[in-house]
Amino acid sequence: MLHENWYFDPAKPDTVPAILHDILDKKGILCDDIRLVCKTDINRDLVRCDNYILATDEEIILLSGSSSAVENAGRNLLPGRRARTQFQELSWDVLPLQDIVECKMEEQLSSGRITAKMESGVYELVANLSNTYKDDAYQAVKFLNQLKKEKKITPAEESKTKQRADQFCPKCGNRYVDAERKICPKCLDRGKILSRIGVFLGKYKLSIAAVAATLILSSALGIIAPYVSSGFYYDEVLNDSGSFYGQLLLVLGIVIGTKLLNLVVGMINSIVSSTVAAKLVYDLKTVIFNSIERLSLSFFTNKQTGGLMTQVNRDASTIYWFFCDGLPYFLINIVQILIIVVIMLIMNPLLTLLSLVTVPLVFVLIKKLFSHMDALHSRRYNRSRRMNAILNDALSGIRVVKAFAKEKEEVSRFNRSSVAVADAERKSSRFSTVAFPGLNLLLYVSNIVILGVGGWMVIDGKLSYGTLMTFIAYMNMVYSPMFFFADMTYMAADSMNAMNRLIEIMDAKADVEERPDAIRLPHPEGRVEFRDVEFSYEKNRKIIDGVSFEIEPGRVIGIVGHTGAGKSTLANLLIRLYDTAAGGIYIDGINVRDIAFEDLRKNIAIVSQETYLFMGTILDNIKYANPDATEEEVLRASKAAGAHDFIIKLPDAYATQIGVGYKDLSGGERQRISIARAILRNPKILILDEATAAMDTQTERKIQTALEKLIVGRTTIMIAHRLSTLRDADKLIVIENGKMPEFGTHLELLKKKGIYHKLYKLQLEAMKNIGIEE
Amino acid sequence: MSDTKTSLDSVVSIVYITPENAVFEEKNHFLTLQLTTTKEDGTSETANYDRVFLHRSFPYDHPEAYISVQDGDKNEIGMIAEIGQFPDSTASLLRGELARKYYSPVITAIHSVKDRYGYAYLHVATDSGEMDITLRDASRSMARVDERRVIITDIDGNRYDIPDITKLDRKSFRRIELYL
Repeated sequence: MLHENWYFDPAKPDTVPAILHDILDKKGILCDDIRLVCKTDINRDLVRCDNYILATDEEIILLSGSSSAVENAGRNLLPGRRARTQFQELSWDVLPLQDIVECKMEEQLSSGRITAKMESGVYELVANLSNTYKDDAYQAVKFLNQLKKEKKITPAEESKTKQRADQFCPKCGNRYVDAERKICPKCLDRGKILSRIGVFLGKYKLSIAAVAATLILSSALGIIAPYVSSGFYYDEVLNDSGSFYGQLLLVLGIVIGTKLLNLVVGMINSIVSSTVAAKLVYDLKTVIFNSIERLSLSFFTNKQTGGLMTQVNRDASTIYWFFCDGLPYFLINIVQILIIVVIMLIMNPLLTLLSLVTVPLVFVLIKKLFSHMDALHSRRYNRSRRMNAILNDALSGIRVVKAFAKEKEEVSRFNRSSVAVADAERKSSRFSTVAFPGLNLLLYVSNIVILGVGGWMVIDGKLSYGTLMTFIAYMNMVYSPMFFFADMTYMAADSMNAMNRLIEIMDAKADVEERPDAIRLPHPEGRVEFRDVEFSYEKNRKIIDGVSFEIEPGRVIGIVGHTGAGKSTLANLLIRLYDTAAGGIYIDGINVRDIAFEDLRKNIAIVSQETYLFMGTILDNIKYANPDATEEEVLRASKAAGAHDFIIKLPDAYATQIGVGYKDLSGGERQRISIARAILRNPKILILDEATAAMDTQTERKIQTALEKLIVGRTTIMIAHRLSTLRDADKLIVIENGKMPEFGTHLELLKKKGIYHKLYKLQLEAMKNIGIEE
Repeated sequence: MSDTKTSLDSVVSIVYITPENAVFEEKNHFLTLQLTTTKEDGTSETANYDRVFLHRSFPYDHPEAYISVQDGDKNEIGMIAEIGQFPDSTASLLRGELARKYYSPVITAIHSVKDRYGYAYLHVATDSGEMDITLRDASRSMARVDERRVIITDIDGNRYDIPDITKLDRKSFRRIELYL
């Protein structure tokens, strides 16, 4: 049972899974003595089975076995009663806790293992596990070490460990794909999705009623039309015994009238529904985009958001199609078919049965054809997508292709892919040219059968000629929406997926949220303090581990460290793109979690190594952070950032359009614009995250001079790997592997002869090598 | 090509771990290494590693060659050019360690695929028994490493291996073909 995955509650001995009670009893161990139970799924010989790590105050028990269902003896088994499960012991090993130095969780590719280092220096394997149990294993290791050191287990967040059972869908036993949302896609019922999305339609009740009314009217007209033009026409007008014999004009009038009416109704329908459609799609997109913008950065770093906006666009139209086209058309057709079948039955039951007997066959056949068509189509689609990717790849990388003289290889790579596309296209079109006429033939056969049997009935005088004609017209009306029905099942599944994605985005919770009672801090002094900050992007992998420092208002602090050491993460934490896992960050003594977003971000500006310029003019981009700035302020800021000189050389100067399809700026130029943007913001706290890394030395010098003026009176955090950039820092922090081993002034750190000293010497030597000495 | 080799040789050297300079042993499911290195001045030095870890450089193309031998902090101690160089007893130790490290069930048949709301539920037969696998976005979870091999990664990050999709039975293949 997956549910019994992780237990921990020393106060409640009954948390030891019932399945283990017998065996513990046999071994003479009391459930009360068990401090921890963790289940894993692979045993020490890499065989899938049920393993339990049990811990008492003295020892760790490694129990491996399999739970098998055994039926209760014979006749006592009531129908529907669940079989009892029994635990079959395979192995039982004990590690004395006092011999263990430390337990560790080791991640492998697709599995992990818990190991224990023993006092004797040897290692012991505690358990193997698949990634499914990874988080449990980390918890278990933490608790085992705690139990060893402190002789007791104190879960930090008890609720979290006890929630394990809530992570599984009660209906199917599968783990929720998203533990926070507690929705199991496998058991999710369609009604729920429909009703949630249906709310969006509520606004357009009237219009939708109009659409429905017109649809009903046109389907009613559709039912009348064949009767008037065939049955009524032949039997009552053309037949000399008919009650309207000879009144051709009247009939023509009625036919034209119904046609016209149908036309008008159809027009009204399309006008109303297209208006609703446009509005609905707009609503959906707005809702989705709002939800997305609200979300924290972590949502976007999650890989499943790739091509998010394209998906949003497509999903919105799919959902529209479902509600405004698919569903109404489906309902109308169902009603229409039912009415027609009733009419047909009244007209002639025998012929009705004969004509409808092939309906199920045709439906199944169409569905089969469609599913095959679908496979062919998606193969074609995938292949052509791949071809386009290759094309795009080769063209964007054309410099590299040419530099390595790989033109021929690229051409043949493209050719291979192109042939595959052509092949898929040929197969799919061949299939449709054969399959659909074949299907039509089948429909034609039933027409012929009716013509034959019906004709014989007419000759026999059992049926009027008009009735037969009406009948055939109706029969075709029953068959014609079959294609739509078959297609509908796929489209409906598609729409459900789209709706679920939409709900998922709407439901996604922002990790970083503003407190409802957030503190306003419009004019901070600029004192920044990090206290024992811990952070990890991925669970169980600390990026920042216990960093503490303080910056006085107006002072400059430099952060030094290797690439990937966690320097930029510190900046991201300060502006709350992410929240700390433990510890806190304070501005003027107030935790950043309590400060209103607006004030927090207004007073901190960040110039980072990645610059993003929006579509628009250079002026728009510089003013992005401060739209009220005057032209003169913009000019000053650009000059300070060293951007003015190159901007003024452009033909359109500050009105130059940048962004996709426009003027391409170099990395250094973009960087200078983003510095100007930050300068214009006039923040109290300034973060320069490798701000000058993309520039040549001369430009860097220029900007450095500008920045020196800029940082006066501002608390500044400078992140750099080039130490020369940090000359002006009052204090320096060295970050290594998320920890902060060194902190002090340049001289203090040099004296310490630690990491900073090493870095400094290395860079100094590099300078000496090219003949520069400081 | 040989020019590149010689010119690179003088710049970068690869420490090869060979039967001559290394002794691998297994203690309690863990691999240990005793490595003797000869220094420039001709003296030799022996280092003992109580835990070493193996990592494939080319996991699919060369599962038994260019094996990086690392210490507990993932620093490379050296490289095994080819496991076959070692005597059978050592080679089987190394193969055993690789099997543990790269443990992932091999899918032999796919009984059903249920795609619901962007998640796919697979019921499969593997070399470790029948399993239910949950995937987030089936197409992205199935990666084709080469013409034949497909690696499936489930929602928990577990990997499943299909070494040769052409060897799957027709029905199994058709069930996942759409996503490939």
